[in-house]
Amino acid sequence: MTRREFMDELGSLLIELPDKERLDILADYTEHFLMGIQDGKSEHEIAETLGSPKVLARELLAGYRIHQAQSNASVGNMTRAIIATVSLGFFNLIFVLGPFMALIGVLIACYGVSVSLLVAPLGMLAQYGVPNLSHERLFLLFGSLASVGLGGMLVIGLIRLTKWLYRQFLRYLQFNVQMIRGK
Amino acid sequence: MNVQFKKGVLELCVLVLTAKRDRYGYELVASISEKFHIAEGTVYPLLRRLTQEGFFTTYLKESQEGPPRKYYQLTEQGRVYMNDLVLEWRIFDRGVNQIIGEGLGYDKA
Repeated sequence: MTRREFMDELGSLLIELPDKERLDILADYTEHFLMGIQDGKSEHEIAETLGSPKVLARELLAGYRIHQAQSNASVGNMTRAIIATVSLGFFNLIFVLGPFMALIGVLIACYGVSVSLLVAPLGMLAQYGVPNLSHERLFLLFGSLASVGLGGMLVIGLIRLTKWLYRQFLRYLQFNVQMIRGK
Repeated sequence: MNVQFKKGVLELCVLVLTAKRDRYGYELVASISEKFHIAEGTVYPLLRRLTQEGFFTTYLKESQEGPPRKYYQLTEQGRVYMNDLVLEWRIFDRGVNQIIGEGLGYDKA
């Protein structure tokens, strides 16, 4: 592979990166080629020792995505980071996607519970009308208050938990990239 | 040498190599591949990551011959991280050597 071929392939594989990032990466490899040529090596030799542009591109994309998800937390960024990490190898399909799906499932279930706690009193209202001070109505009223309170606290806790899990999962992704790096 | 293992060690190597003076990418790659075989291209993603994590700062410097070089300078944070890794490595290295020594039976030297 000539320098031109190597750079063209790497460039087209990194096309989804912002220009600044991509050009900066390409500049690193151009510098490497130029220094190698100065050292008396052939372009083919240098391309050979650098390794496959495909492998390098996957690693660079994963690195970029994780960095994005870190500095700019959002569901979209996290998803892109996961896709990039998964594309590093089949191994990751199991070790990244599996735990992630399980976590998301548990989180959704918890949100479901807290929402039903919040909504449950509405059902009681619909069934029994506005509570008055008779005995069982009073019980319903306090029951509703407890339910809403519990639901509210659960939601607040869950939001914190979600944020914390987001950070932990990013670290887990990084760990995975390190494991897979350079295969 | 095992690939995964080498990758972990690579990080330690680039950090240690920049401990005494700033280095440029090609120089780092060359010093490492002199000692053991690596896919040289993977050093650059590693350098990017370590830079993003705040362990390196970079600057461009013109050179007499050839293209301008991107130099990597170890930050204070990077130095702390490097020291941690070196310590971990030493403990690991000593442990493995003891196990090899005992396992192969030349520990009584």
